[in-house]
Amino acid sequence: MDPLLPVATPPSNPDGGDFFGKSRSHSGGMRRSTDVFGILVATSAGIVPLVILALLAFLLYNAWPALHFNGWGFLTGNSWNLGNQYGDLVKVRGVEVLPGARFSILFLIFGTLASSVIALVLAIPIGVGAAVFLADAVPPRLRNSASLLVELLAAVPSVVFGLWGYVVLIPFTARHVYPLLGHVLAFIPFFGPPTYNGYGLLTSGIVLALMVVPLITANMREAIAATPAALREAGLSTGATRFEVVRKIVLPRLRLPLIGVSTLALGRALGETMAVLMVSGNAINGLPHNVYSPISTMAAFMVSQLDSALQDPSGMAVSSITEIGLILLVLSMAVNGIARLLVSRTQPR
Amino acid sequence: MHAPPIPKPFDPMSVADDASPATATEPVIDIRNLSFYYGDFQALKDITLPLNRNEVTAFIGPSGCGKSTLLRVLNRIYDLYPRQRAEGEVVIDGRNILDARTDVNLLRARVGMVFQKPTPFPMSIYENIAFGIRLYEKLGKVEMDERIERALQRTSLWGEVKDKLRQSGISLSGGQQQRLCIARAIALNPEVLLLDEPTSALDPIATGRIEQLIEELKGDYTIVIVTHNMQQAARVSNRTAFLYMGELVEYGATAKIFTKPTKRQTEDYISGRFG
Repeated sequence: MDPLLPVATPPSNPDGGDFFGKSRSHSGGMRRSTDVFGILVATSAGIVPLVILALLAFLLYNAWPALHFNGWGFLTGNSWNLGNQYGDLVKVRGVEVLPGARFSILFLIFGTLASSVIALVLAIPIGVGAAVFLADAVPPRLRNSASLLVELLAAVPSVVFGLWGYVVLIPFTARHVYPLLGHVLAFIPFFGPPTYNGYGLLTSGIVLALMVVPLITANMREAIAATPAALREAGLSTGATRFEVVRKIVLPRLRLPLIGVSTLALGRALGETMAVLMVSGNAINGLPHNVYSPISTMAAFMVSQLDSALQDPSGMAVSSITEIGLILLVLSMAVNGIARLLVSRTQPR
Repeated sequence: MHAPPIPKPFDPMSVADDASPATATEPVIDIRNLSFYYGDFQALKDITLPLNRNEVTAFIGPSGCGKSTLLRVLNRIYDLYPRQRAEGEVVIDGRNILDARTDVNLLRARVGMVFQKPTPFPMSIYENIAFGIRLYEKLGKVEMDERIERALQRTSLWGEVKDKLRQSGISLSGGQQQRLCIARAIALNPEVLLLDEPTSALDPIATGRIEQLIEELKGDYTIVIVTHNMQQAARVSNRTAFLYMGELVEYGATAKIFTKPTKRQTEDYISGRFG
């Protein structure tokens, strides 16, 4: 499991015979410090898988009552209802809950997936375009500083993106962009009016897109730059322009890395909390009617509902929120695992 | 076996090309006082060298002598790298291709190049060859098929790949890939073929086939080959240019260079005393 662990195994013969005894008298201090170092390194490396395991165990343990109470209906319904907070606890399916309590989160799963997919649809062309530009069109002198700028964008705290979405993007799109979009794109299902007040699915998608573009750009720029020079030269020497070479020879080779990087970006978008919380409209208990409708996502919902869930004396609401966390964790780990696999397996030949 | 030369459907540079059939000694590329720089480093020093039409010219010399650099000037592929520049003249059909106004894409369609390592494009065998043709010509399917078949036959690859034209070019063996790259170059009906150590990544059998191919192509194309293999130069070329430290030391008929070189350095190099 852990490549560093073997370092921690003690020397095969720590208190061995004369030879060991003798040698220790000369260099004992050093030997011992090496062992200590090995143990320290192994411990810190071992902490990582342990934390993941502990996290999973914690989530499973705390979500257990909810898993039992909610059943599969948790994934298919649109009802998040704490029940009557002033009523006495009742026993349902062997667990005590508030009367009328029901928890299901289809609308959250949908909101999470839909906003992330919109983010990818917007971010992939922009990210790849920027990568091509940085790798090929920017004069070499400026290349590093331009790339640094893109990578800095990845370092912007998500709450800043959220704030920008809240203060700038939402008023602007709600007043000027969405009404026009709703008018022009009315023939596409889910793109017609009403366009609501700017908080919603499309806005969440746009903000998420901005947050994952740097990830896509940085990775794709590296992949483009790693294209063998001979292949570019071969393309040029058939009389193709630089742009034709990039579009028809360089990029087609990078299809698999692009899928990997996009999956990585999907993982990032799925788990994003703060920015989405600030621009999604935090809708509850219903699926969006169109792309302008308010939504909520699993991550944002956990934050926005934790406080009221703590008011539930049975603990079932908190347990159900933990269940959302469990689902999100498993989903994100699966997506990231697939992404890593794709990215590592597909270094271009 | 010998397909007829492919007719030239267009002429990108259209100057003095409608002259009467070429004689064997007419220079098709005239390199005059060429110097080349990588940044501040001068890699070629005042090279003057006429390359004859429909002959094979070999550039030989030790590593770093400038032979590949010289080749890379002839289709201006060095343009890709901003710190590289050439001074002097390289005249093709009366025009200096180093002139900033030269359409380098057309130039490269006309002066094909094959590289040290095979460079199949990430597409099917068919598309590998169609790629360059499509950039400059609109052909119907039948014409395109014919053109591709002829290019593959010319490089004796047709028999080996005719049933798998839709397979990736990368699936071929190294020697086949290199012949595919040559087919790709000649499918554009170039006048000149530049071969940059085309066999250095291949085994002896594949190398033999490439050399045989060069032999077959030389009547129809002007071929310039860079090689570090002196036997190869002796086998395939009509003329040989020996470069050393960025200077052209000696240039002449291959037979003469290899039997009676006039310069001491040339003799030392071909007899294996250095390099």
